[in-house]
Amino acid sequence: MAAAAKDIATRRAVAATIKLTVPAGGARPAPPVGPALGQYRLNLMAFCKDFNARTQKYKPETPMAVKITAYKDNSFEFTVKSPSVSWYVKKAAGVEKGSTRPGHLTVTTLSVRHVYEIAKVKQSDPFCGYMPLESICKSIVGTANSMGIKIVQDLE
Amino acid sequence: MSAWHFIKHFPCTNLSRHILRVKPRRCFTSSTPPSSFSISASLSTSESFAAAPYLSVRIHCPKHIVDPFSEALLCFGASSVAVDEYDEEEEEEEEDVTSESSLASREICIESIFPVHEEVKMCISQAANSIGLKEIPKFNVELGDEQDWITKNQELFQPVEIAERLWIVPEWTSPPVAEAVNIILNPGLAFGTGEHPTTKLCLLLLQSLIKGGEAFLDYGTGSGILAIAALKFGAASSAGVDIDPLAIKSANHNAALNNIPLEKLELHLAPPSDNSSCGTEIPLPKEQFDVVIANILLNPVMELADHIISFAKPGATIGISGILSEQLPMVKERYSPFLEDISVATIGDWVCMSGTKKKS
Repeated sequence: MAAAAKDIATRRAVAATIKLTVPAGGARPAPPVGPALGQYRLNLMAFCKDFNARTQKYKPETPMAVKITAYKDNSFEFTVKSPSVSWYVKKAAGVEKGSTRPGHLTVTTLSVRHVYEIAKVKQSDPFCGYMPLESICKSIVGTANSMGIKIVQDLE
Repeated sequence: MSAWHFIKHFPCTNLSRHILRVKPRRCFTSSTPPSSFSISASLSTSESFAAAPYLSVRIHCPKHIVDPFSEALLCFGASSVAVDEYDEEEEEEEEDVTSESSLASREICIESIFPVHEEVKMCISQAANSIGLKEIPKFNVELGDEQDWITKNQELFQPVEIAERLWIVPEWTSPPVAEAVNIILNPGLAFGTGEHPTTKLCLLLLQSLIKGGEAFLDYGTGSGILAIAALKFGAASSAGVDIDPLAIKSANHNAALNNIPLEKLELHLAPPSDNSSCGTEIPLPKEQFDVVIANILLNPVMELADHIISFAKPGATIGISGILSEQLPMVKERYSPFLEDISVATIGDWVCMSGTKKKS
């Protein structure tokens, strides 16, 4: 059963670490969730319900990065991260891939408003929560530039 | 129509004791044009998932790069990657035997799952390339055995004591306390075994509300556990609604397991909720239910609030669950125009909110 971190009084023995991508609000007892968790005898339904409830605030079908720690007693914990910044940037820009020559060839542009919206989503990631919004924005601009996507004040 | 033929001709893979055998007297209505499930055939749980095969790929890789490599695999097409925990004690024993081995050359296995049409070799080679590996790691591919994980999942299901003399018992076990109210279940792949905090909260709520003779609506019925429990507690009739045909199938089967007669429990397949057609075609009478419970998720209970409440009589009790305590304020705000005497029960991070429908 899923357990909160605070319930660990003694260190439980870890059986395995599982990483997978699951659409927000869309975990179902089918591949890949079914076999990935089923192999370690983790409670599929509990995970689906828990994951779906916790990802209600994201746009449905957003691919979330999940990391599950499975313990030898069949209990488990998991963390959920929103997609990588490069995923959001590509989605916002409507492109499949970044530029083949970033720095020389610009594929497309995004507005600062896009950057801000992406930063707001990333801020609710675990491990990102204490970063000021401005730092997150700067990192997004950096990622976009490295993909050959220019940030402009306004898209005309 | 083609879906019906598919089911009829599919060779039944026998899950031994886990066969879903649905008795022919039950039926359910669908508000979408039926690919109607003819339920006189023997069905097995895995049947519906024959259409969801997957590739099970085992990849060997040096231990020191397992983290970046598994991340790379996920980027290049793997659906999931799993790594067994490195057992320090086991490794120490091995060292005596193979004294030449150094940390870097120790290999571990990544168990990964790929979609069935994925080019596994290309993904692995791109992933290896992206982290600077000189050679493509050894790997082997098998078609995934869904029987395996479905069976393992079912085996987890044990009898659960919800309250004194109220048990949920898997179909293949005999009830630990024969005189208790025992709800027999084979949940299949539908939600509701009694173990989840939200199911417990709803069952306890139901137990406190049903005095005898009520009409009950289970919105988001899953395995049918609440609808069946209500009847066992003495309700006059239960209705169950779900957007998942597998849930309806499962609920049908569980009703039969508990000897629920046809006229006491009706099940409806609702169209998936989207903003426009919020299940308006469900053929259930409005304002006819004494108790309505919806144990789903935040977004559907918010979107469908008006709809869910419309089925309740004035003065009826409505219970909403499947929500986390942090989501409660939103739900309370959404439902308070319609409900009074709102109370909240909590287990862990999960809550169940209940109230009575305002009379006017």
